[in-house]
Amino acid sequence: MTECRAAPSDGGALRFTVLPPKELKELGDKLGWSLNSAELEAIRSYFKKVGREPTRGEVETIAQTWSEHCKHKTFNGPIRYSDGKKTQLIRSLFAETIVKATQGLSKPWCLSVFKDNAGIVSFGKGGRWALAVKVETHNHPCAVEPYGGAETGIGGVIRDVLGAGLGAKPVLNTDTFCLARPDYAGALPEGALHPVRTLRGVVAGVRDYGNRMGIPTAGGGLWFDDDYRLNPLVFCGTVGVLPTWAVRKEVKPGDLIVAVGGPTGRDGLHGATFSSATLEGESDRTAVQIGHPLNEKRVLDAMMIARDRKLYRAVTDCGAGGFSSAIGELAKDCGARVELSGAPVKCSDLEPWEIWLSEAQERMVLAVPRKSYAELEKLFHAEGTGCSILGEFTDSGRLVVTLKGAPVADLDMGFLHDGMPKVERRAVWTNGSKPKPRPCGRKSGAADRGRLGSILIRMLGHLNVCSREWVIRQYDYEVQAGTVIKPLQGLRHDGPGDACVIWPAAATGEWEDLSGFSVGHGLNPSYGRLDPYWMAMCCADEALRNLLCVGADISKAVFLDNFCWASPEVPEQLGGLVRAALGCHDAAKGYSVPFISGKDSLYNQSRDEKGRDLAIPGTVLITAMAPVQDITRSVTMDFKGPGNSLFLVGVTKDETGGSLLSQMESCGGEVPKPDPKAAIKAFKAVAGAISKKLVLSAHDLSEGGLGVAVAEMAFSGESGATIELDQVLTSPAMLPDETTLFSESPSRVLLEVSPKDDVALMRALKGVPARRIGSTTANPLIKVSGFDGSIVLETLLVDLKTAWQKTLPELLK
Amino acid sequence: MSLIATGTTYLVEVRLRPEFTDAAGLAALAQLQHAGFAGVRAVRISTLYEICGPLNQSHVQQASKELLNDGVTQEFKVLSGPPVLDGMNHWRVEVWLKNTMTDPVGESVRRAIAELGLPEPERVRCGSAYRILGRTTKNILERIVLRTLANPVVHSFTVTEAYD
Repeated sequence: MTECRAAPSDGGALRFTVLPPKELKELGDKLGWSLNSAELEAIRSYFKKVGREPTRGEVETIAQTWSEHCKHKTFNGPIRYSDGKKTQLIRSLFAETIVKATQGLSKPWCLSVFKDNAGIVSFGKGGRWALAVKVETHNHPCAVEPYGGAETGIGGVIRDVLGAGLGAKPVLNTDTFCLARPDYAGALPEGALHPVRTLRGVVAGVRDYGNRMGIPTAGGGLWFDDDYRLNPLVFCGTVGVLPTWAVRKEVKPGDLIVAVGGPTGRDGLHGATFSSATLEGESDRTAVQIGHPLNEKRVLDAMMIARDRKLYRAVTDCGAGGFSSAIGELAKDCGARVELSGAPVKCSDLEPWEIWLSEAQERMVLAVPRKSYAELEKLFHAEGTGCSILGEFTDSGRLVVTLKGAPVADLDMGFLHDGMPKVERRAVWTNGSKPKPRPCGRKSGAADRGRLGSILIRMLGHLNVCSREWVIRQYDYEVQAGTVIKPLQGLRHDGPGDACVIWPAAATGEWEDLSGFSVGHGLNPSYGRLDPYWMAMCCADEALRNLLCVGADISKAVFLDNFCWASPEVPEQLGGLVRAALGCHDAAKGYSVPFISGKDSLYNQSRDEKGRDLAIPGTVLITAMAPVQDITRSVTMDFKGPGNSLFLVGVTKDETGGSLLSQMESCGGEVPKPDPKAAIKAFKAVAGAISKKLVLSAHDLSEGGLGVAVAEMAFSGESGATIELDQVLTSPAMLPDETTLFSESPSRVLLEVSPKDDVALMRALKGVPARRIGSTTANPLIKVSGFDGSIVLETLLVDLKTAWQKTLPELLK
Repeated sequence: MSLIATGTTYLVEVRLRPEFTDAAGLAALAQLQHAGFAGVRAVRISTLYEICGPLNQSHVQQASKELLNDGVTQEFKVLSGPPVLDGMNHWRVEVWLKNTMTDPVGESVRRAIAELGLPEPERVRCGSAYRILGRTTKNILERIVLRTLANPVVHSFTVTEAYD
């Protein structure tokens, strides 16, 4: 055992009830509690009533439990929201949007929503299995140390799934990063890392942790926008498989509190309160850690055996707040007595409150019946990982923590979980204050025939479209041998897939059951700059279409939300967040897809090099997951050969606002607005056609619209295509060629169908706006004819593919 | 009388044999060039292990040979003093995780050495050494390393100039 560093001196009782409010606030800021004045006052009056001074451990426990990270104050607190002339009071944004939609839909296959560490849905034939899924962010640590931040991010979300129900075996990881452009050349404030470094670091972190734990990383995305330069966003997700009997957990008074996994050190203190504060030059540096994947793997292996032998009754992971929040959560409805001397520690000089609150990674807390402990301990020691008793659950309704008998904390569970004063925040949404750029959609004549081609080539090379092969190839997406549809597809395994399909038979052992599942994502902050409501709708639409295009059963899809926003104390920022949450509610209801889990990360803003606040663009990541009833019927996106018909499903509108075209041509337009009712009808028809094996390939239309989708399908399958724009269903009936080709109207998919199945397909798509718009060709080029019948675009596949592939390698070589 | 002194510290360096392409080195080379180190010509990386505990020289030799080194592609040496590189414009940058950070690789090596049947070390830390060829000054190189190879939040590093 070694000395880590000099211990802080003020570990005992604090003069909390006698300090004047200003000095109290200063003390709180110095010790990194991130508590506001009202909260400090509530704590003070609680302890005045109790008639004693709090210990440091007690205030730290309350600060962790009440942090934005753990309690989601903004999402659960009241908000006075004004939208133009109307003002309304939202009592709880979370309950009135996300939860309300899910409750209204009440889908029987959702086994656990919002309660546990991850959402749980039933899976496979026979009702024996369930999937636990969680996506969360790890933004603040990644801004300071990308490698360690991303590692602990993915490690944390894996533990969430391991702590869902009685523990699920992880079978898929996903990662989505929002960063500034790798070639960002502007100034950065002191201490901020260059985006290229952040990109390399976060990719390496997810790679090293996921690969070493033997979990495939097969889904995700990248989004570049320079306003992420000080606050990069890192979303990590995990899906795990568990037996249905293991979904329920319960804690019985008298059960032992058992800590398993790595020892406790001074790692990651104040992680929860840290993530609830805006990032400044001198951030709390102990909040950053390096992950230990092999330790987590040991815990995983031992836990899976212990679960199947039914050696414990409940489990949760040590995330933000360490033991304090893990035990606090498990003991919420009963009570707990904790003796910290049982906890294995990395260094001998830890203060009691530091052991209690340390966020050292790779630890879980179990509720173990006394008679099972000996067997459990033997099992964990055999796997080479720690296992020790921390105390027991009681029925006292109190949380009592001691170290060698000396009090560390003695708190009422009711006050700890419900005593937080609610702050009413103000939110304002104003639309139309920004100047409108010139509308997109220039008329193209024979004179500028090359223009659309050059736009298409630039679009394919754009950072938000280009090949992600540089990232994907670093991940082991094949481990566990269940990746049916891989992230890279096509003849040469380098085309951009819509979503992965996983067959978790290695985890379930059900080799006869060909059920799999698919995970897709939707994210587009550019739409959010115009209207966060439609951003949320579009993201939900895109995530679902990604699943649809690989052949998943979207009638049993579920959503996960992840909101990343700037400070909610700024009414305009909070207004946008409310709009996005309302969009999520309407999307869930409209598409009849419930949200089952989610997370929010606020205060993503920092002072830039000139001392001004730089806020991130409001961002929503919607992750969708759906079962694939028969993995042998899943579809990839690459053209399968020449002479096949191309069908476009959905209506193309003049929707270029926030589109790739608008960014490249400095123009604007209406933000895309999905119509869920019409969309879901079309999706169901397409799903029916795919299950009848009528569809050879399918791809969703997203950034860059029809043009980019055709190009990606063509160069991945190495077949050319001819497209007739006058066959595309548009609204209004006449649109400029540029708009038809690059509009980002949602709810559209492009299907490749064998000509003998044309009629059968049209029959399957009866009542749905769909048209045959062209065919695939043996000639390796894309030829597009405009409304007047003249050729408006003619480009070689090799030029398109080269442009698409070279961007990231050139920036990162 | 035992020859084993408790707490002896050894430094083991493991590197790719010169005939193999060092992919990680090439990546580091690109990063250094990208950060403005125009004069850099080559980078090769080796892994450093600082092993501290009741082991003698032959224990460390055995652990290095059987555990830390891949005999086909790599070679190792147990360093006794500061390494000397030959020729002008050779730089050695060592990057270590700070002592306050948990070192997962070091921790795994510590347990693995014990599992070889050797005395269990008290502490093992793992770091990287970059052998850099290129014209620069120590100050400039330190600044570039801060922007590329080391993050002062979690790492400590040293830059030394090598001379004949």
